[in-house]
Amino acid sequence: MLFEQFTDVVPSFFGWLNQGPMTLTLFLHTLIILPMIWIYYDEKKKLEGKK
Amino acid sequence: MANENKSVWTSISFWRRSAGWVTGFATILLIWLTFDTLGQIRMGTDEELKEAVAQQKEINRVPAPTVINYHINYKMDEKRGHEVPVIGKKELFFGKEWNPQEAAELLHLGKLTSQAKNCMNCHTLLGNGAYYAPDLTKAWLDKAWQKGGPLQAMTGKNTVEEAMAEFLQHPSQYPTHARMMPDLGITADEAKGLVAFLKHMSSIDTNGFPRNFSKTVEQFKTGGTNAH
Repeated sequence: MLFEQFTDVVPSFFGWLNQGPMTLTLFLHTLIILPMIWIYYDEKKKLEGKK
Repeated sequence: MANENKSVWTSISFWRRSAGWVTGFATILLIWLTFDTLGQIRMGTDEELKEAVAQQKEINRVPAPTVINYHINYKMDEKRGHEVPVIGKKELFFGKEWNPQEAAELLHLGKLTSQAKNCMNCHTLLGNGAYYAPDLTKAWLDKAWQKGGPLQAMTGKNTVEEAMAEFLQHPSQYPTHARMMPDLGITADEAKGLVAFLKHMSSIDTNGFPRNFSKTVEQFKTGGTNAH
């Protein structure tokens, strides 16, 4: 299961995020990749504007 | 220019901005994780420990040094899927009950000794160190050191702490397994400190590390190590 009941002793945001094997990885990669997609299209617009 | 570069992939500013974002995000994430960890590894107080024992539930991952005055055991937590330490009834440690200051000083002496004698050169403590000798994270809970266990019997002592302290002072006299511990010149006081350090460590909730620690004794008897 991707989401399971939180069973850690000390409640923590990262503890909650790391309950499954892939959840933390997927979350962090999404957070890093999404702005890069925005940066890509922004740069593309700039390059086309220069033309 | 006929050969004008229009690809974003070869644009320097795209890579510069991406690198800036990834580095900045990672920096913030690491700072956040540091503070998140500080909260997790904060040592509890004596009051919190008393409350935890009275209510039979865990409050802190790392209990106060006075935890050496309590019986420590472990149980399999089905919900969490690993073994967790259980702090039980009061028991004497080296024949006395230690007040918060005494307990903290003893634990400090033990920590300094563990560093001075470089235990981690062979052993593992809380995930740090080597796998040449047994993992000491839960050594206090090792059945071989309990009453009737072969290690306690070998020292001729009647309690876990006295047996461990005796062994630590003269390790090369006792046959343990193929990789025998050398004599490190540990004094009687230092040995007491080290045993307190180990007892406290066994009470820390390490999310089940080392995995199935109750089984490691059998593993070492058959010549295995924790390195897997």
